[in-house]
Amino acid sequence: MSAPWLDVLDDTIRACAAHNRPDLAQRLRDKRARQLDPKLRVLVIGEPKQGKSQLVNAMVNAPVCAVGDDVTTTVPTFVQHAETPSAALVRGPSIANTPTERIPVPIDQLASQVSANHHHGGDLVRAEVGIPRALLDSGLVLIDTPGVGDLRPAHTASTFAALLQADAVLMVSDATAELTRSELELLKQVMTSCPNVILVLTKIDIAAQWRRVVERNRAHLARAGVAAKLIPVSAALRLRAAKTGDKALNAESGFPELLTCVQQDIVAAADQLARRTVAVTAASAIKQLVAPVREELSARAAQGPEKTIAALNEAQRRIDELRRRSARWQTVLADEMADLVSDIEYDLRDRTRKILREVDKTFETADPALGWDKFEAWLEDNLTEAATTNFAWLLDRSEWVAEKVAKSFPVARDDLLPESIFPDDVLDRVAPMDKPLIEKFSLMQKAFTGLKGSYGGVLMFGLATSLAGMPLINAISLGAGALFGGKSIIDESDQRLRRRQAAAKAAAARHVDDFFLKFGKDCRDAARHIQRSLRNHFATLAEELQETLLESARSARRAVQDDNSERERRNRDAKRELDELVGLYQRVQALAGGQAPPLGISA
Amino acid sequence: MTVEDEVWALLEDALAVYRDSPRAVAWLRGHQARFGEPVRVAVAGAPRSGKSTVVSALIGEEFVPTGATTWYQDGPRPKAYAGQYEVPVLRRDGKAFVDAPDAERVTVEWPSRSLRDLVVIDTPAGAPVEQVYGEADAVLYLTRHLHTTDVRFLQTAHDHPVARIAPVNTVLVLSRADEIGGGRIDALSSAKQIARRYRREATVTPLCQNVVAVAGLLAVAARTLRAEEFAALAALASLARAELEDHLLSADRFVGEDFPVRLDPAVRRGLVERFGIFGVRLTTTLIRQGFDTQVKLTGQLVQRSGLGELRDSIGVYFTERKEVLKARAALLGLDVVLRAEPRPGSVGLAAALERILASAHDFRELRLLAALQGGRTRLPGDLDAEASRLVGGLGTNPVVRLGMDYEPTEGELRHAVLETLGRWREHAVDPALDHGQRRAAAVVVRSCEGMLAEVVG
Repeated sequence: MSAPWLDVLDDTIRACAAHNRPDLAQRLRDKRARQLDPKLRVLVIGEPKQGKSQLVNAMVNAPVCAVGDDVTTTVPTFVQHAETPSAALVRGPSIANTPTERIPVPIDQLASQVSANHHHGGDLVRAEVGIPRALLDSGLVLIDTPGVGDLRPAHTASTFAALLQADAVLMVSDATAELTRSELELLKQVMTSCPNVILVLTKIDIAAQWRRVVERNRAHLARAGVAAKLIPVSAALRLRAAKTGDKALNAESGFPELLTCVQQDIVAAADQLARRTVAVTAASAIKQLVAPVREELSARAAQGPEKTIAALNEAQRRIDELRRRSARWQTVLADEMADLVSDIEYDLRDRTRKILREVDKTFETADPALGWDKFEAWLEDNLTEAATTNFAWLLDRSEWVAEKVAKSFPVARDDLLPESIFPDDVLDRVAPMDKPLIEKFSLMQKAFTGLKGSYGGVLMFGLATSLAGMPLINAISLGAGALFGGKSIIDESDQRLRRRQAAAKAAAARHVDDFFLKFGKDCRDAARHIQRSLRNHFATLAEELQETLLESARSARRAVQDDNSERERRNRDAKRELDELVGLYQRVQALAGGQAPPLGISA
Repeated sequence: MTVEDEVWALLEDALAVYRDSPRAVAWLRGHQARFGEPVRVAVAGAPRSGKSTVVSALIGEEFVPTGATTWYQDGPRPKAYAGQYEVPVLRRDGKAFVDAPDAERVTVEWPSRSLRDLVVIDTPAGAPVEQVYGEADAVLYLTRHLHTTDVRFLQTAHDHPVARIAPVNTVLVLSRADEIGGGRIDALSSAKQIARRYRREATVTPLCQNVVAVAGLLAVAARTLRAEEFAALAALASLARAELEDHLLSADRFVGEDFPVRLDPAVRRGLVERFGIFGVRLTTTLIRQGFDTQVKLTGQLVQRSGLGELRDSIGVYFTERKEVLKARAALLGLDVVLRAEPRPGSVGLAAALERILASAHDFRELRLLAALQGGRTRLPGDLDAEASRLVGGLGTNPVVRLGMDYEPTEGELRHAVLETLGRWREHAVDPALDHGQRRAAAVVVRSCEGMLAEVVG
């Protein structure tokens, strides 16, 4: 026969698995296994030095748990029924996967061994005691635990591990002081994993004011919203009563009430207890499952469509912007390149004119026949320098233009600027200069010119002197002839120099003009080349960008369309899941007899 | 120049820097004024840890807790103030009761020899750490059983640069020691053993100077034992132990019907409220053992309740170190001002503050003491204990420092100091010790030189 709570628990476990919460499912499965176990685990919990171990000892009327004035209990002690008294220590796995080790010890040595635990190694995980007692006959297991809030956190950890297995909890606080804030916190924490709590107020024998403490504690519990029974007891009186057989003293100790309460509320009401425990555990699991579903629902309702539509709008806006801007960058490129070409041409002309002027000045005086080679080298150097400067400027300017275009481009990217847009062989294309024709004034020519000049002189002075009765060829006419010959040689060589200079100037001018023409053309070509490559580069980029944007716009549009149907489907799913969970929760509530708090949702 | 002179001068400098800030000036003047006052000892702890009881025991008068921060200081006659207004001091059930509801702070003047060199501050439960440690020079922290929340409180108190450098001003008190072991007759010796264990606990040692177990209820009762109470107790003690035993099993039985002696239930109720069931058990046993006069009983109870030990601790760690504690409090206060109102001149002040903290010998002694107690510095053999004694771990009197168990003549004292100084000078350059140990030895040498100056001067 399966109890009704078992079905609910199984359904909850399935729901946990379906919602991808294997952790919760595992926890519930553990709980299920424990509930099916006939043993009833009653955990004795509390802060240190409240008399937990003494309480257990007094309940079974035997010194099974170590008690002492300082911190004594270091590991949980399980006290259960056995035909003959027995005790054992359970040593924990020191490395994972090694099995736990169970060491039987004489029952009267258990206490000292447990309290000595932390002196050597501290690898005990629990102590087990079996004694023949009517109280424990029904499968009741009392678990004494180390105090919570002790300075050694290892002790506390084992207490909480034990708490997970508990069917009911006896929370212990002594009557010398009311519940502290940390005790109330602990109590609330205990309630979340095990709702069957009895608050036991110990040591009423030494507290003269224990009745007032009981009153205050009731008020504290009411304020904290904790529904737990409160039973004041005195272990000292009980143990003494057991020794002397004093019934009245036993009644005074409060233990009969406690034991009755344990019998009625815990042992007899095991099924009720199971329901309550299951209800609380399942309710907390379902709450955890509901939260994300509800979140999803509200999130979808609130902001689902807006997001996709916003994405679509954004994509559209960016496409428009790209279009507007691509017109702009093209204009910028054309304008800038036109400016660049005219500036470059002017610069080149300016530079060449300066060179020509220099050439003119030089050949006013210098003889091109002397050191033409030097001049040629000089001119070549100057022209090269002019060309280099000019070209460098061209490169600079075009780079600047590229940046400017990039700036007016709609998006910012690292690869906006092309790596290389310049032809690299511009400078090699200028032809070498032609050497001008240079007339040399040879010795023969000089002699001939001299003779030609002297002839006139000899004749002129010969005739004049013949009047004076001298022969035609005389000393004077010969002297004059020599004079005249010399002068005409000089005159002739002067004229020749002029001619040579003019020729050199003309040659230089022609060469510079050639250079200008050729280099100017090259420059313009280069500029056009640059313009073309820039245009290609940016156009490619713009196309890419446009394609990307169009794609994202398309996908955004698709998302908007898809979203509507998908959202509706998910919404339906989530609503259905929520309905199922709510249904399950109602069953849990019914199980607990309406004790579980409302889920606080409207599905 | 002693540390308090240096701190005083530093405060004067700070006053000059902050002369245009009324708030800072008032704060600094307050700290200067504190120099002249007795040591302020705050009693702090969790709710119901017995703070007011310990305060009453220290003063020797039972006070009804006011629920506010209450300052108890010496005065010619009983007087109380809530803020600036005088409020009446009444008597209620034999207890002094200050009628000041809703007051935030109550000052009580009380003629008591215990308050001569001590101002006791009773703090309400849940007073913030900063407030407790800001107003007091030293703190008695009370707890029934050391809980993680207590450790957290103390750790917060020490989480301050100045506090870290001079961790000197806390004594942990295991209050309500009479409740240990269910009020067994040997509960107090058991409590003392637990205190001893805590003194060695690694988490506790760096947080306090000492751990003392005190049975507050018993201590108050001892200091305010009345003749009629003694008479009632003596009447109880006249019964045979076996006869009384059943009636001392629980508080309920003690005040219950058919009591073997003619004692009014109201009287019995009064006894159990004042002494606790443990107190009644102990006093009757003591009277039977021969402490059968009120004086003898009182002396015995003061000693057994741990009050004597607590007073010794207050003496050794607080009142004897008054100058250092005051200087430390003033430095903490100055640090607050420097942080709250930084200005150009405050950089120099901060540097000076740091210098005092680093170089003042008193702080170095305390630091070494803390290091020795916390196990950060270890010296070989008996040197460990001797070093902590010489730097004032048991008291700052030269005789105590030298560990002499008799009253020496001046010559003997001088000889002992010189002998110790010589030995420790050797330790300070002993190549067998490591650097940290040699430095520790150097601090001890400096302490010995101080003692020598004191003895010769």
